[in-house]
Amino acid sequence: MIKKFGITIGGLQQKILNLVLVFIIVISGVYLAVSVYQSRVLSATVGEANEEQHQSIEQVSDATMEAVVASSLTRQAAMEAYIANDMFAEVESNVLTLQSFATGLYNNADNFDSHPVSYPDPSMDGTPTAQLQHAEGVDPDNSETLGLIGNMSDVMLAMFKSCDKLDSCFIGTADGLILYVDDRSGSYVDENGEIIKIFDVTHRPWYTGAVEKGDVYFTGIELDTSTGIAGLVCSAPVYKDGELVAVVGADIFLTSIDEYVSRSDEQGAFVCVINDEGKVIFSPKNEGTFSALISSEAKDLRNSENSELAAFVTKSLSEQTGLETITVDGEEYYLTGAPMGTVGWAIVNAVEKQLTRQPTEMMLAQYKDINERSTEKFESGVGKSKQTVFVMTFVILVLATSSALFVANRIVKPVERMTTRMAELSGNDLAFEMEDAYKTGDEIQVLAESFAKLSKRTVMYIEQITKITAEKERIGAELELATRIQAHMLPNIFPAFPERAEFDIFASMSPAKEVGGDFYDFFLIDDDHLGMVMADVSGKGVPAALFMMMSKILVNNFAMMGGSPAKVLEQTNTQICKNNEEEMFVTVWFGVMEISTGKITAANAGHEYPIIKKANGKFELFKDKHGFVVGGMEGMRYKEYEFTLERGGTLFLYTDGVAEATNAKNELFGTERMLEALNSEPEAAPKTLLSNMEKAVDGFVGEAPQFDDLTMLSVKLL
Amino acid sequence: MEIRKVNNAGKMTVSISGRVDTTTAPALETELKESFNECEALVIDFTDVEYISSAGLRVLLSAQKVMGKKGGMTLINVSDDIMEIFEVTGFTDILTIE
Repeated sequence: MIKKFGITIGGLQQKILNLVLVFIIVISGVYLAVSVYQSRVLSATVGEANEEQHQSIEQVSDATMEAVVASSLTRQAAMEAYIANDMFAEVESNVLTLQSFATGLYNNADNFDSHPVSYPDPSMDGTPTAQLQHAEGVDPDNSETLGLIGNMSDVMLAMFKSCDKLDSCFIGTADGLILYVDDRSGSYVDENGEIIKIFDVTHRPWYTGAVEKGDVYFTGIELDTSTGIAGLVCSAPVYKDGELVAVVGADIFLTSIDEYVSRSDEQGAFVCVINDEGKVIFSPKNEGTFSALISSEAKDLRNSENSELAAFVTKSLSEQTGLETITVDGEEYYLTGAPMGTVGWAIVNAVEKQLTRQPTEMMLAQYKDINERSTEKFESGVGKSKQTVFVMTFVILVLATSSALFVANRIVKPVERMTTRMAELSGNDLAFEMEDAYKTGDEIQVLAESFAKLSKRTVMYIEQITKITAEKERIGAELELATRIQAHMLPNIFPAFPERAEFDIFASMSPAKEVGGDFYDFFLIDDDHLGMVMADVSGKGVPAALFMMMSKILVNNFAMMGGSPAKVLEQTNTQICKNNEEEMFVTVWFGVMEISTGKITAANAGHEYPIIKKANGKFELFKDKHGFVVGGMEGMRYKEYEFTLERGGTLFLYTDGVAEATNAKNELFGTERMLEALNSEPEAAPKTLLSNMEKAVDGFVGEAPQFDDLTMLSVKLL
Repeated sequence: MEIRKVNNAGKMTVSISGRVDTTTAPALETELKESFNECEALVIDFTDVEYISSAGLRVLLSAQKVMGKKGGMTLINVSDDIMEIFEVTGFTDILTIE
């Protein structure tokens, strides 16, 4: 495993880290998705709410504004009409007083003295004064009424002084005189001090109007001849005996109404006055339908093409109207009208509907502004919260990664330490011991404890095995020693009898694996007798070796005591059978050769056939008489036989290890191959024969393991 | 080496196949010792025996000694090769071979 940045790639630490990361990414993803979804829903909701509120505000505000406008405008029109009417009513009342006084004067002319009158005196300018004037061609001195109307002076002066609305009050007689009271005496005299002539009184509109009407009459708006100020006159006829004698009147400047009306044009709202002919007489407007024109040019709005307006104006002149919405000159107006009963006029209040929408629009604009700001705030909030989410996610990722690494490290560290420690175990340092680092309280501790136990046991086993091995080695060494002792027991110094030239003898034993049970022996019983033994103990190992020792000594002893071969074997058998609980036995061929003659007396206790070569002959198997093995059964009898080894003849003795040597194919070496080997060099010395045999057996066996000893003895008579 | 045993009313037949040598002889000895208590007469079938070493002969000798005092021990179907071993070692004198 590769290590990078302190993390083992593909290790537990990385896996834990992966797990945590996947978990957090999934959680963050869900969190993000939910946040985005929520903010979208919220945005949509806010948008919808905005729209609804917008509409709602519009509706409510419109309704409210209309109600407010309706109520205030209607009341305002009524109030204005009342106030204006009151002014006219006062003037009318004054004119009626003058009419009444003049009527009384004319009808009781005899009761009044002539009252002096004078022409305008510029020096009296500024002081209310009664003054006389007349048109050209009228002679006041011829007038019968001059003295009479002079009596009006005091009444008119008193009236002029008491009523500040009056610009002047006067009486015009049928014979063309006019006596009037005002405080502008100077304005009636020209620069030459001449009295300015006036038009014929009886042709003045107020005069003719009153006469025509026969009752109190209000003139239309007229510009004052001397001042140019708009004004109107209220007049009333005076009769004597049913005959018109004079007309009284009062002049009022409409400065206050005009000013009021003119000033009224503010922010799309204004007031205008319509006279009894349906014409606009006062208006702040200079153009359009509501502009006030000179009487002759003005249109009668009651006949307007705008039928709604015509109906409204007609209604306004007779009664108080409600709030009406009428489009005039392409502009929508809220209109209310109220009549001024005295003069038969109407006052109209107009408000551009657009105006009333202003608060609504302002409100909406403000609302929109607020909304936009809050939306901005909301969006920036959403943005910030998104940022926060990202930042939080990042922070969580970093925290989780580091804590996962920390935790993983805590898990992995002991494992790594354990691994390192395990890798270090070698030689004498084999003890894995429990350390504090492994005490994690989890599976790692259990693992470490198991390792510790295992290690302890391993150390113990190693100690045991060391001990056992030492023991085995000791036994092996001892067995090796035993094998050597056994080998040394056998006559192994050749030539064995260097002083004897009559015969040549050679023998060998090569144990297969370990100490075995084969043995050979030869010894001189006396000068002329050579004893020869070839034997094979059943089984192998130390028991066989011990048994073999015993057998060898017994045979040797009994032979040296001079017994015949059969007798020697029988005695040996008896001795062995006495203490043979293990039921071991040994096959023995024992022969005694009379060296001088070559005569051999032998007995065979279950051993292989000897092989004999006659002089100049070949090696052949000698099928002798067999007895039972030695040690097998008590009281066995053995038969002896004799044969003679010729000079130049050779005797070859062997154990079954030779005949039964086995190759890899599980084939036995067999007697045929033995004979072949021997006959390959039949005249050779015993040592060479044995060497040849050994080579043949080795060649045959090859690599296959040998279980049995290879023991051979050969004697040749020279 | 493989061993099969058939007990027929006190007469036990033990069939041996393969090599009876130093390494396998102890197993045969154990089997035969068990059989001593279970039967009166013992028959050993040598049909499939390839080779018998001195260690095997020792086991046969022991068995012969025990069974000789009971219902006897008989070897059957002994091949020529094995027979030769018995002859050489003189076992033909003490064993009952049919």
